[in-house]
Amino acid sequence: MKLWKEAFVVGLLVLVVSCGGSGSKKLPIMGRQEFKEVNGKIDTIYHTIPNFQFVDQDSAIVNEKTFEDKIYVADFFFGTCPTICPVMKQQMLRIYDRFKDNPNFAILSHTIDPEHDTVAYLKDYSEKIGVMDNKVWHFVTGNKDEIYEMGSAAGYMVPVGEDGAAPGGFIHSGAFILVDKERRIRGYYDGTKKLEVDALMSDIPKLLAEYE
Amino acid sequence: MALLIACLLSACGGAKSENEGVQDRLNTKELKYFTNGKRLYTQYCNNCHMDNGEGLGRLIPPLAESDYLMEDLGRAAKIMKYGQKGPIAVNGTEYNQPMPANPQLTPLEILQILAYVSNTWGNEADIMTLPEVQEALKEQ
Repeated sequence: MKLWKEAFVVGLLVLVVSCGGSGSKKLPIMGRQEFKEVNGKIDTIYHTIPNFQFVDQDSAIVNEKTFEDKIYVADFFFGTCPTICPVMKQQMLRIYDRFKDNPNFAILSHTIDPEHDTVAYLKDYSEKIGVMDNKVWHFVTGNKDEIYEMGSAAGYMVPVGEDGAAPGGFIHSGAFILVDKERRIRGYYDGTKKLEVDALMSDIPKLLAEYE
Repeated sequence: MALLIACLLSACGGAKSENEGVQDRLNTKELKYFTNGKRLYTQYCNNCHMDNGEGLGRLIPPLAESDYLMEDLGRAAKIMKYGQKGPIAVNGTEYNQPMPANPQLTPLEILQILAYVSNTWGNEADIMTLPEVQEALKEQ
């Protein structure tokens, strides 16, 4: 009996190890790289998210300083979206519930329809899906061009824009983008697919561990 | 240890199927509606009402064990085709998110989606007939 127990424990260990085996491997750094010579050595300059300034559901200014010493997940959505947004929010809620107590973690959801999605609308929307404050998850609105700029090649590098032919009038990516404390992009995940969000949820602790 | 094994087992397949009993309740033709309805649900409804029919918070109402759905399937047919605006009460909670119209859905497709949503996730209802759905869709 004891032997059987031991075998079971070993089996469990094997299972745990095989599930998270790449735990020590660092996540890739995405985006264009530049190489710069500094004192005779070649330095790699990685793509970083530029400075920004938006307003969240509690009328608080949200900018790059909001995410100092935090890793965060970013996405783009709009409140009246008839297609992929609700399922993205359902999946983001799983991430929120898992990591909301970690002081080094945050979420940044940009509306791409700021004319409709005002601060008051975003407050109502966020509360309705169960996010009662802005401590962890910021739903931001602001200048439309600046929001679209954040989606562009200068920012998160995902498609966002207006398109009269698209359902709801906007096109946008369903991507969840994982950003590190140096504002470098460390992963893209399809926010409409549970399995990809599972992968993101296992990558978040790996990224946090890089700073331990 | 025993608890752990029990957890593992139940996670693997112990949970009851969401469609349990549907084979006994529906005849062959109705089951065909149900199966096609599930496919159409995935295509048209799933992004908002979710694959378990639970909706999203207080934003998107549930279909699973939803009084608003089950008390009037004809009304649900209309909402699918023509959309919905304004506040509604579902299981005692108010929802006020517009639902887009789906003018491309045929009466048969609507009948199939209804067959699915009203007979899964704990819901049980008689399957409407095609003339009944057509009648419900007459008035917008």
